[in-house]
Parts: sequence; structure tokens; C-alpha cells
Amino acid sequence: MASESRKVVVHLRATGDAPILKQAKFKISGSDKFIKVIDFLRRQLHRETLFVYVNSAFSPSPDQLIIDLYNNFGIDGKLVVNYACSMAWG
Amino acid sequence: MSYKVTEAQKYVWQGAVPLQIHLHESEVTTVPPPPPALILAPRIGYLPLLVPQIKPFFTSALPPGADTVWFEYKGLPLKWYIPTGVLFDLLCAEPERPWNLTVHFRGYPGNVLTPCEGEDSVKWSFINSLKEAAYVITGNCKNVMNMSQSDQSELWRSILNGNLEAYLRVASKLKLGLDGDDFSMKLNSSSFKSRQSTNEGDASGPTKPGRIPVRMYIRTFNEDFDGLEDAPAVDNWDKISYINRPVEIFGEGKCFTLTDAMRTLLPELFPKKSLTDDIVCVSDMEDEQKSPAGEAGSTRITEETGGGEIVRDHLESLSMLDSAEIKLIRIQGIEPKMEIPFAWVVNNLMNPEHFIHICVYVKVQEPITL
Repeated sequence: MASESRKVVVHLRATGDAPILKQAKFKISGSDKFIKVIDFLRRQLHRETLFVYVNSAFSPSPDQLIIDLYNNFGIDGKLVVNYACSMAWG
Repeated sequence: MSYKVTEAQKYVWQGAVPLQIHLHESEVTTVPPPPPALILAPRIGYLPLLVPQIKPFFTSALPPGADTVWFEYKGLPLKWYIPTGVLFDLLCAEPERPWNLTVHFRGYPGNVLTPCEGEDSVKWSFINSLKEAAYVITGNCKNVMNMSQSDQSELWRSILNGNLEAYLRVASKLKLGLDGDDFSMKLNSSSFKSRQSTNEGDASGPTKPGRIPVRMYIRTFNEDFDGLEDAPAVDNWDKISYINRPVEIFGEGKCFTLTDAMRTLLPELFPKKSLTDDIVCVSDMEDEQKSPAGEAGSTRITEETGGGEIVRDHLESLSMLDSAEIKLIRIQGIEPKMEIPFAWVVNNLMNPEHFIHICVYVKVQEPITL
């Protein structure tokens, strides 16, 4: 499938008291899974417990494909991912 | 307010998989080992919700330590956030009754499974799936987020108790259902575009949903096998493609069959010819003045039919896989006829979090990436 190699721009946005990352946007392969974004955030923030959302709305399961999330919920050519250190949107 | 409950919905809600659960031998400290636990697991339920019932069978045999419960089938740790019925349909090619599962109370495989803290984790996952579905359908999940605490609890209790009436009483407030009998929703290209470009601030969302949330689980086989009982077992989740794509219902819902839905979901598996036919068919339905079924006509329609980006995407990604063959499509334990209206599938076989879970067994000549 063509989208296999397609790159998706992920825009990371801090929510609540979560620290803001120096690099808020990065490209990731569409065939990667959402867990890759979660793991990246865990490493950057040195936290095991994180709450990660798409469009300030819901937490996708970690095994969802990035390309599916982008196609379904992407806004202006980006996948917006919000992260918080405590539960933000239930 | 009244809700129409269909026979099929009742079957789905009452549906259960008989489980025979064995304690893993490494955790048996007694002689003789405890006998297996026999239990009926609701199809729409989740395995961790069974733990309070299962634990008394094994608790006296366990080694000292804290419990972190997980389940396994033929060496594969089972993802706890997939509904039990879907796991059964997916992993048990030839339905095995009772389904023999192994339970572990120790040694959680954190590299394969996301952590599960019992019912709370399952509820969190369920509500998030519901929000995701709402987002697909309406372009936001305000309806779910604005649910009162008591409604949310009642909704969750209805899942725990398998109470369809109670579920419909609360779920109907979310207004995520399809548009009743006539099912005459048209794909509204402008509403789709606005969802793509505006932020979640758009409170209204389209009133007639035309996008159906679907989770697909695809098992591919390279070699042929005689019967389903000979299908090789899944020993690794990497062997299952997990695909989340909504189905856009084109034109009049009644013409839109399960075949049409599968074509839009898995264009990789359908030869180009039939996809072109499909687009021409859509143009026939949507266009009052029927355009000639020429190539120009179909291209134009492709540009217009809303989800433009997605449709184009599919066309681009269309590979020449005439060699792929769908062996089996299973939804809620049944193998529906392909010409069944997709609206029927949606209205009857949907899981309570508003997703249709479709298990697909595909035979391919060469390995493919979906």
C-alpha cells in the first residue's frame, strides 16, 4: 500500500502542567503505531504515566496505525496529539 | 421515547463464548492442580471483567505475590481491550467450544500488552473508544464528554450487566445512531471538509451521520489450507493487521452493501476494475443526470464525492492484487452474506462503543502490507 511509506506530521501540544517540548512537531511513518508517539513522549518527559490524546478529545489505543489516525482525525495536514501528566479529558 | 430493539441486537447482547480457563502450569503450587474454570463470557464484554468470577477458582493454588492478571491463547497474550467476541472470532478460525484459554496471575508481559488495572482500565478504554467513534461520526465528541456522571455510570453498568434496554436508554441521548428506517443519508462533502479543516470548536457537526466507525482485524495466510480448523494459529500480534477506517456510506444506504463497504475499507484487496464499477455505480445513484460511465465521468465523481482525499488515496494505493482472496468475513460470530445492506450490519451488529468490528481472513500469494 502506498501509504506504507507516507510520513505524517505529528504536532505535540502540552496540556495542563505538562512541560512543553523544544521540538513540538516531527514526522513519523504512517505505518508506525501510536505507541511510538507515547514512548517518545515518555522518554522526553521522563515519565511512565502520561495521558495522550488526539485533538483534545480521546485516547486512541496504542496499536492504532498513525496513518489511520491521520486520515480519520488529522487537521490541516497534521495529527494533533495532546499530552498531560494527569487525566485531562476523562 | 421508544427504542426499536431488533432481534439481532438481542442476540448480540446475549451472545456469549463458553470459556474453559486453565491456570498456567508455572503458577500452580498445589497437587493436584486446580481444575479449569468454566464460564460464559459475554461477546460484548472484556476478559478482565471476568477476573472477579475466575479468581476464586485459582486463588488457593497461586504462589505468593501480587496479582496482575492476563490471558493467553496458544501462547498469544490476549489484548484486553478487544471485546471477547472479537478475540474469539479472530483467533479461533474454527470455533472451539469451550474456548480453552490460559490465565496468568503473575508475570505480566508488559512488552506485549498495555497495563491493565482491572475494571477501571477497561472502562477508560471503552469510553475512549466511544469518544473516538463519536468523533468519526459527528466530527467531535462533545456528546460523550458532556454526558452526566450518572449517565456515564449507567452506560457502563449496562455493559457490565449486558442490559440492552438500559444501554439504549442512555446511548440514545448521544445521538450517534443511523437515521432510522429510510436510511437515506447522503454523503455530504462539505461537512466532511469542514471536519477536516476546523478544530474541535465546531459544536454542531452534521446532523445526519454518514461515516461509520470500523475496526478491522486482518489475518493473512500465504499458503492454502483445507478447512478453517487447519488455519495456523496466531502466535504474534504483528501477524494481524489492525486497521481503523470509517466507511463512508455513499448515496442511498439501501444500495450500499457489505461488499461495497469492504471495497472502500480494503481497496488493496479488490481489483481495480470492480472499484471503478463501484464509483460509476455511485455516480448513477448520486447524479440526477446520469453521466456517461466513461473514465472522465468516474474521475470527476471521485473528485466530488466528499472524502475526496480518502477516495483518491485509495485509488493511488490500489495495488494489483488480483491474487488476494477473502476467505472469511466474520462479524459478531456470523459470516454475513456479502450482499447484505451495510446499514443492516451497522444497526444490528455494532458493538456498544459504536464500532463495527470486522474479522477478515485473507489468502494472498505473497505477503502484503495492509
